[in-house]
Amino acid sequence: MGLRWFHYVLWGGLIAGMFLLPQVVSNGTMRTMIFANYLAIFAISWDVLSGRTGYVSFGHPFLIGIGAYTTAILTKRFDVPVEISIPIAVVCTMIAGLLVLLPALRIRGSYFALVTLAFMELLYQLVQVIRPDLTGGTRGMSGIQTLTRGASNGYYLSTALMLSVAVSMWLLMKTRLGTALAAIGMNEESVRGSGLSSTRLKAFAFLTSAFIAGLGGAFYVHYLGSLAPRALFDINFLFTIIVAALLGGTSTIVGPMIGAFFMTFLLEYLRPVLPGAERYFVYGAIALLLYMYQPKGLVELVRTGVLRLRKGGVA
Amino acid sequence: MTVALEVSGLVKRFGGLVATNDLSFSLKEGESLGLIGPNGAGKTTVFSQIMGELRQNSGTIKLFGQEISAQSTPQRIRAGVSRTYQIPRPFGDMNVAENIRVGLMPDNIWRMIVSPPDTERERELALSVGFAEADLERLPSELAMGDLRKLEMARTMATAPRVMLLDEVFAGLTVGEIAQISDLIQSMRKDGMTFLIVSHDLPALEPLIDRAIAIERGTMIAEGTFSEVMNDKAVQASYPGSA
Repeated sequence: MGLRWFHYVLWGGLIAGMFLLPQVVSNGTMRTMIFANYLAIFAISWDVLSGRTGYVSFGHPFLIGIGAYTTAILTKRFDVPVEISIPIAVVCTMIAGLLVLLPALRIRGSYFALVTLAFMELLYQLVQVIRPDLTGGTRGMSGIQTLTRGASNGYYLSTALMLSVAVSMWLLMKTRLGTALAAIGMNEESVRGSGLSSTRLKAFAFLTSAFIAGLGGAFYVHYLGSLAPRALFDINFLFTIIVAALLGGTSTIVGPMIGAFFMTFLLEYLRPVLPGAERYFVYGAIALLLYMYQPKGLVELVRTGVLRLRKGGVA
Repeated sequence: MTVALEVSGLVKRFGGLVATNDLSFSLKEGESLGLIGPNGAGKTTVFSQIMGELRQNSGTIKLFGQEISAQSTPQRIRAGVSRTYQIPRPFGDMNVAENIRVGLMPDNIWRMIVSPPDTERERELALSVGFAEADLERLPSELAMGDLRKLEMARTMATAPRVMLLDEVFAGLTVGEIAQISDLIQSMRKDGMTFLIVSHDLPALEPLIDRAIAIERGTMIAEGTFSEVMNDKAVQASYPGSA
């Protein structure tokens, strides 16, 4: 579980590579990478909660939506500067995260997943009927202040945000806290039987997950400059987040990042060949095959590959 | 001598079934008490109430003089009482050392983050229950039942208990493994550990306890030394085929 020299080398290489990338790729590719960065943030947020503790959330767009709507309303309707609106959005999302925690104190498994799905649906309905003058109702909001201009600036901002989230979460999960959160996913009764308050640990996981979702949601809406409830609270958006995390490998932080990039680029490159919703069949089939043959995701495939190479090298 | 654990008038009902019926007993510090009875007598239910996994309908549970009935399971463990389970409950994707690590953790998120794992203590605990150095990296799925029980013991010991409740600690073990676990318990007794032990393996239990209590359908039917309890007519009648 400790930090090794190659961890620093790999992270250093990744960070350097990502920041040098705009020198060699087109603006179109960079725009795709911006979406991949935000999807990675959302997938990491999902992984910190669901991948680690086993409390599978189907309501992550609820948390992302709280972050996005809070900052959008504050900046557009009340002219609050983004330096203030984004932190407020994050705090509001964390409070919403505590709301999602409440059912987790009593239920888990499929019931918990369904309750979180209800949270998402509830918010979708609420933003349409309650104060549509603020939320924009069914049409959503446009003309929201953007933080950057141009593909490369948007890319640098989203990359810095994604890498900050990824590295800090990766370091956090390397500590004993990460072990304790993973233990909840394996056997919550044994965690309590080891003298640890599982409620406190779950509260931490929910708050951290909500923090990341709120941060990502807020920055994402200030990148897009618009907010469409139908797209945000869409089941496809939810599944894209979950599949990215599962495809890469849950409980790893790096896995959801890889999964997010794999998914975004796969869908993007399939677009000319399959312009319609058929694209989702392809990624669905890939996801299905991977879960059947390597449920631990792409990261595990890479890890076992490296181990085999090493063994082969030794032999 | 200080009373380590004191159970008074414990009652637990599941609907119409009385699982624990006005049960009272106490354990002095450093003492080892056997809790015996046939299947379904309510031994594990008593353990669960002491640990707070089940709440009693009435009665009190005191640990070193302090009433713990209102405390959660983790709070009771921090207060000094810990248990093993009849069916071992390891963390499936964690190796032996990591399983023990969870038991060694402070119940404080900040300290979990800033202080590194005590790998030397993990190793010490693993070796003390009979694991070899090479076993530290093994997953629970690679362990035999005897090793899983050892792991359960090590994780329980990691919580630094002053009173240990051992539930069917010999079930499914080979003769050699029973001897190994018995030696471990004896050495912990010498160091002053207080034990409450449930076991169906009465010959293995006898040398490990100072005295015993027998329960049937949640009611205490005998109390005394091991031979006194085993010679009690009510106890003999409660074990089918033993009369």
